[in-house]
Amino acid sequence: MEMFFYGFMQRAFQAAFLIAVISPILGLFLVLRRQSLMADTLSHISLAGIALGLFLNVNPTFMTLIVVIIAAVLIEYLSTLYKSYSEISIAILMSAGMSVALVLMSLSSGGSTTTIQQYLFGSIVTISQQQLYLLAALFLIVIVLFLVFRRPMYVLIFDEDTAFAAGLPTRLISILFNVITGVTIAVIMPIAGALLVSAIMILPAAIAMRISKSFKWVILVGILVGIVGMFTGLTVSYEWGTPPGATITLIFISIFMITTMTIKVIQQLKYKKSRS
Amino acid sequence: MHYVEVKDLSFYYDEEPVLENISFTVDPGEFVMLTGENGAAKSTLLRNVLGLLKPTKGSAKISAVNNRNEPLSIGYIPQQVASFNAGFPSTVLELVQSGRYQRGKWFKRLDAEDHEHVERSLKSVGMWDLRHKKIGDLSGGQKQRISLARIFATDPDLFILDEPTTGMDLDSRTEFYELLKHNSEFHGKGILMVTHNHEDIKNYADRHIQLIRKEDSPWRCFSMDSCSEHSKLHS
Repeated sequence: MEMFFYGFMQRAFQAAFLIAVISPILGLFLVLRRQSLMADTLSHISLAGIALGLFLNVNPTFMTLIVVIIAAVLIEYLSTLYKSYSEISIAILMSAGMSVALVLMSLSSGGSTTTIQQYLFGSIVTISQQQLYLLAALFLIVIVLFLVFRRPMYVLIFDEDTAFAAGLPTRLISILFNVITGVTIAVIMPIAGALLVSAIMILPAAIAMRISKSFKWVILVGILVGIVGMFTGLTVSYEWGTPPGATITLIFISIFMITTMTIKVIQQLKYKKSRS
Repeated sequence: MHYVEVKDLSFYYDEEPVLENISFTVDPGEFVMLTGENGAAKSTLLRNVLGLLKPTKGSAKISAVNNRNEPLSIGYIPQQVASFNAGFPSTVLELVQSGRYQRGKWFKRLDAEDHEHVERSLKSVGMWDLRHKKIGDLSGGQKQRISLARIFATDPDLFILDEPTTGMDLDSRTEFYELLKHNSEFHGKGILMVTHNHEDIKNYADRHIQLIRKEDSPWRCFSMDSCSEHSKLHS
């Protein structure tokens, strides 16, 4: 319990809670829209935004938000060019983001490399009070948007053409969703690190999808898995002195494996019981 | 008034014409069936009607209002909708309830009338007992039936259905057609449906539109001529 005496650990747990609630919500929609790699792409794009900010001497967080919003709209446009292969747009922007980031880094003065490294690997325990406030504001925005748009999003991810026929502005909702996801990633990335943002967004949702059978429960279970994974990961990281982001991701992967194996065993037992 | 009005519609994929000079209407209370050989661009035509594709020439319009001057609601079943993603985390009940959202419930609670519609629709396709099952765990036929239940729960003014009875047994298909016919005859619903079954056309269709391959075209292009539209009303 001694870890809770430290201000930085208190902030880390508060941030972990906020991330654990919003990540599975966005992650579930990403998985169901076959955009699991979008979190990766947008984090690479965020890196380009940071590199551009450092290169131009503009606040990197502000520049990242601008770049990510443009990228989120671009993803939607490119996906219309390759309608049946929407992952192509994600792949194009992912490589573009990384290349721009690397080129700008090499052009910047030496100091920016360290900052880019910080963003690339991030550490939740170094979160500042200001970052926590920003995360809290984002948390409120995501929760409100989810409560308002959960029904249109359900129909949209079930079948986009059916949603269009039902009168929904599908393109607008898709762009809004991409923008919110982009902004979330831009905010979470300096905390969790670009390499681990995707895992934190996708794994709790993927685990919840294995366990739950209803849409309502899959989100609640995803949030619960998110909180358990984040808190456990943070505690283990503190005790063992391991990097928090990587530890949290490994915890999620462990939960995923345990869940998958348990479900398999239960299915086998049920099958045997039905045959006997 | 026409719920659907297609006028001299042509549609090209790149430079290649696949539909040419298509004209027809669907009126309130009318059951129109659309046929054509495999690859006759029937689904493409429905997608043009819905606005999912843009006609290369001519126009396809859906009325903004129904015959009571209220906003017109559309129920659409695409051809591949029964092949749900097995992992889609939703129960049968949630999916069928989602059919009610477009009746002004995107941002409002479902009320007793909505729940009654949902229950009646699920019972009409014999899926009420399976309402708490995950949709990914259903068989192909059951998935087909819940997509029909969803559209009946919506209770739309205009049904646009792309081969909705594929894989259904004869009894279920007959029940489904009776229900649709009742909707068009007694509730003034407009129905535009793609089918392959000529027996169903004879028994239920008010009008039958057949897409015929154009003989003079170097492309695999389909059209309709004066003799390819058969109307029971005028015969």
